[in-house]
Amino acid sequence: MSVAALARPTFRDRVTGFSNAVLDFLRLLSRRPLGLVGLVGVIFFFFLAFVAPIFIPYQDRVDVTAIYQPPSGAHPLGTDSSGRDVLNQIVDGGRDILIVGLVAGFFSTLIAVTFGSLAAVVGGKVDSLISGATDFWLTIPHIPIIVLLGSVLKFNSIFIIAALLALLAWAGLLRQVRAQVLSLKERDYVEAARSLDLGLFHIIFKEILPNMRSYIAIHFILAMTAAIYGVAGLTLLGLFPLSGRNWGLMLNFAYVRGALFFRDSLWYILSPILAIALFQLSLVWLASALEDIFNPRLRSTG
Amino acid sequence: MAATTPADARLASDLYRYSRYARGRAALAWMWDKPIARALVRAFITIFLVTTLNFVLIRLMPGNAVDNYIQQIMQEQLLSYEDAKQQASSLFQLDLNAPIHEQYFKFLGGLLRGDLGNSMLSQGTPVFSIIVAYLPWTLFTVGLGLLLSFTVGVGLGLVAAYRRDSWFDHLVSTGGSMLSSIPNYVIALLLVVVLGTQLRLLPIAEMRGATSPSVAPGFSIGFVADILFHAVLPVSVYFLATIGHWILSMKSATLATLEEDYVNAARARGLTDGRITTAYVGRNAVLPLVTQLAIQAGYVVGGAFFIESILVYPGLGLRLFKSIDQRDYTVMQGIVLLLTVAVVVANLAADLLYAKLDPRIGRAGGANG
Amino acid sequence: MPQPQPVPSVAPDSVLSVRDLSIIYRTRRGPVQAVRDVSFELRRGETLAIIGESGSGKTTMAVSLIRLSPRTAKITSGQILYRGEDATIDVTRLDGEDLREFRWSECAMVFQAALNSFNPVINIWEQFLDTARAHGMNKTTEVRARSGDLLRMVNLDPDRVLRAYPHELSGGMRQRVLIAMSLLLEPAIVILDEPTTALDILTQRSIIDLLRKLRAQLGFSMIFISHDLSLAAELADRVITMYAGTVVERAAVKDMFYRPRHPYSVGLLRAVPRVTGALGSLSSITGSPPDLIKLPEGCTYHPRCPYVIDACKEREPDLLAVDTPEHDARCIRWKHVAEIIGTGEAAVAEKLAVRT
Repeated sequence: MSVAALARPTFRDRVTGFSNAVLDFLRLLSRRPLGLVGLVGVIFFFFLAFVAPIFIPYQDRVDVTAIYQPPSGAHPLGTDSSGRDVLNQIVDGGRDILIVGLVAGFFSTLIAVTFGSLAAVVGGKVDSLISGATDFWLTIPHIPIIVLLGSVLKFNSIFIIAALLALLAWAGLLRQVRAQVLSLKERDYVEAARSLDLGLFHIIFKEILPNMRSYIAIHFILAMTAAIYGVAGLTLLGLFPLSGRNWGLMLNFAYVRGALFFRDSLWYILSPILAIALFQLSLVWLASALEDIFNPRLRSTG
Repeated sequence: MAATTPADARLASDLYRYSRYARGRAALAWMWDKPIARALVRAFITIFLVTTLNFVLIRLMPGNAVDNYIQQIMQEQLLSYEDAKQQASSLFQLDLNAPIHEQYFKFLGGLLRGDLGNSMLSQGTPVFSIIVAYLPWTLFTVGLGLLLSFTVGVGLGLVAAYRRDSWFDHLVSTGGSMLSSIPNYVIALLLVVVLGTQLRLLPIAEMRGATSPSVAPGFSIGFVADILFHAVLPVSVYFLATIGHWILSMKSATLATLEEDYVNAARARGLTDGRITTAYVGRNAVLPLVTQLAIQAGYVVGGAFFIESILVYPGLGLRLFKSIDQRDYTVMQGIVLLLTVAVVVANLAADLLYAKLDPRIGRAGGANG
Repeated sequence: MPQPQPVPSVAPDSVLSVRDLSIIYRTRRGPVQAVRDVSFELRRGETLAIIGESGSGKTTMAVSLIRLSPRTAKITSGQILYRGEDATIDVTRLDGEDLREFRWSECAMVFQAALNSFNPVINIWEQFLDTARAHGMNKTTEVRARSGDLLRMVNLDPDRVLRAYPHELSGGMRQRVLIAMSLLLEPAIVILDEPTTALDILTQRSIIDLLRKLRAQLGFSMIFISHDLSLAAELADRVITMYAGTVVERAAVKDMFYRPRHPYSVGLLRAVPRVTGALGSLSSITGSPPDLIKLPEGCTYHPRCPYVIDACKEREPDLLAVDTPEHDARCIRWKHVAEIIGTGEAAVAEKLAVRT
């Protein structure tokens, strides 16, 4: 009896497989309305920040006759203190924030995953050191230290800012990654890999991490929320030398100029506030729904 | 009495020393068994590490504050490098001529005496005296806010768990989830802009600061009322920013506890629902939240930086902001250190509270017999 | 405790009369018939064993006796009649305060190996006190005295145990404490669900001896639920076997062990190894328990029954009286089983081994 040769998946197979996975995912998500709203929100804001500016370029059109106008047909979100359109600024202002969020989230997740799995797999003194450092970091308030660090370092790129903000989320993530890897470590396929002497990196990157894909994705999203919290807040207070235009700077402008106390500037202030708040909400709701989907233990009624 | 040859004598003294050593070790082991000792040691080590971090940041990092300062005053006051260094020395509480490790120890020594150096802006004024006035306001508002949000949040979470999937549950859970996702400074801005400026419900301008100039300090009702009046905004922000977390945590902890065998067993024994809810469900469900109290404290203290700056409330957060603006590095350093110590102490308190509440911790317990 | 409708009468020497009890679980796949038309009597001072595999409905039924079923379970029909000192009540119609008072003071239920039956954050004494207070026993000295007596009866030192927290006691100790606590209010009935599962053999022995001693001293009626037949042999006066949610046989303990008449009971007894048994006499029952949502047509046991005939697949039999007294079995072929098993006083496994 001959054994049929295993056919390698064709490109078409992969595409169908992928689209099936996406449809499955959407089906699961539809049972969690908040998660669906979150997904829509995240997609919307990404679109707003990265795609919309291509079609709606920034117009620095000052119009002193139309200061702090309420929303109207011409200006759906009103105007600012120099008569510039607020919607235009919102469309233009998301990029910086989202990029910092993505990069900082990436750094956070990278540190957490690398050192968390290292600590779990190697164990011993390495684990004690990493866990000790993590616990230390978790017991102290981060913002003041980041502020202090920020005053000492020089900011010349988004990457330094993102790296600094990555400090916000890595410790919590690392603890969870470590716990998760510790539990996966006991599984058979890891034992098998160990006995085949396949090396530390292979075990981490080829055996354990692929099984934590969804887990890592969820935490990446949460790390993004922490980073955005940091960058928006610190920009609002004027502590980041982010020149240019973004939502945080709009708020900074309002804060510095006392526009907070000015009645007519409501829409100028509300727009970036709502943008930040709604984006954070979407991220958190999406992450919660993902956690619900991928963690069968917590699933209530499937 | 045994004959005392030199060998015997040596043996006797060895035994004595050994027994002291053994007793000493036993005493240490006994201490280490107690969670209080472990928690204290951890707190101590954390504070030690943070002060070292402080030192490293200020002194050793490239583009560090000390060197900048030296350069700055060399130019401004046309001093020589030596003179500038001398000034910086006294300001930063560092002996810049001494080798690095000596500087470090002197720095630590100074800290233990409560000496945080002098302000760079108003030279000669010790940092400690500048910031000590701000500390109580931060502690007061943060503490009150957390206390309120914890009690109310735990209560709401418990009820939401008992009334799972009811309109109450949906309302409270969604509301809590929203509040905990929105940044705390956004809540502050919304309160100011919507309630204050737009709806004119709150006299924002008068609520700045911790006290009104017209009210005389003292233990009078008027003064206390005034303090509370000014504290309403920051406390409300802390309350709203953290309550969501307590609601959701308590709800999930309660749901988990309701599945436990001992809850069912308690019902089988005919205990009243009230007793079961408080002593059997509530007390067990709230335990994991106590550990989170410390983490939340750290988060809120960090957030105080934003909130006090926006609301103009004279706590350490606002003072930190001011010192950044003024580039007064010694004050910055002092505030960060103080804030960190406050949080570490809060952590310690939470650890001890947990040990008291959970009899499974803190006893050399385990099954016997 | 006035009840709106008149409660049917119960024989004077019965303390519990369960009549046609049916319970369903609501699940997403549809309603599951966990318990179907179960009836039995518990006489005063008697010990009844309810034996069955997991999924037979025995625990669902037991838990419903004190109305502690989960929210998804519902009693669809039947009565649970308790003949108390003053009046007979229908437990299925008890609610609120009446139900709360009924629990533990009239009928106490001890769950599977008390590993997690105690509140971990309060000590044992407080839990005794809670129990007493919930039923109006407020005088601390009284409660202390009675708890002390009961703990000594179960061979524990009250001074040490009352001060302890649950995690400081071993599993066996906790089981004893729970048994002592169950007698605090002098209940007429004590129900034990799998009292010896999850305990080691030596502890099992001591718990069994303890139960025997307590029963002799205090005279309560006992129901215990188990899959362990040897437990029944040790303690029970009467045995009921359950299968797929219904009673398939009811008999005195000796009749059940030596003269079973239902093929399922036979199967269970054959599966118990005997120390002196001939090798090869052991066998397990082929097949697996049925899906309770889609039960087999006719007799629910027929797919696994070695004596099945076509008539078995047509309708489910009623409980039929068999040749031995106070003994019935839900099988139309009980006479055939009787022929095979006979009436001698020897273990079924041995009898069948001899035959084969």
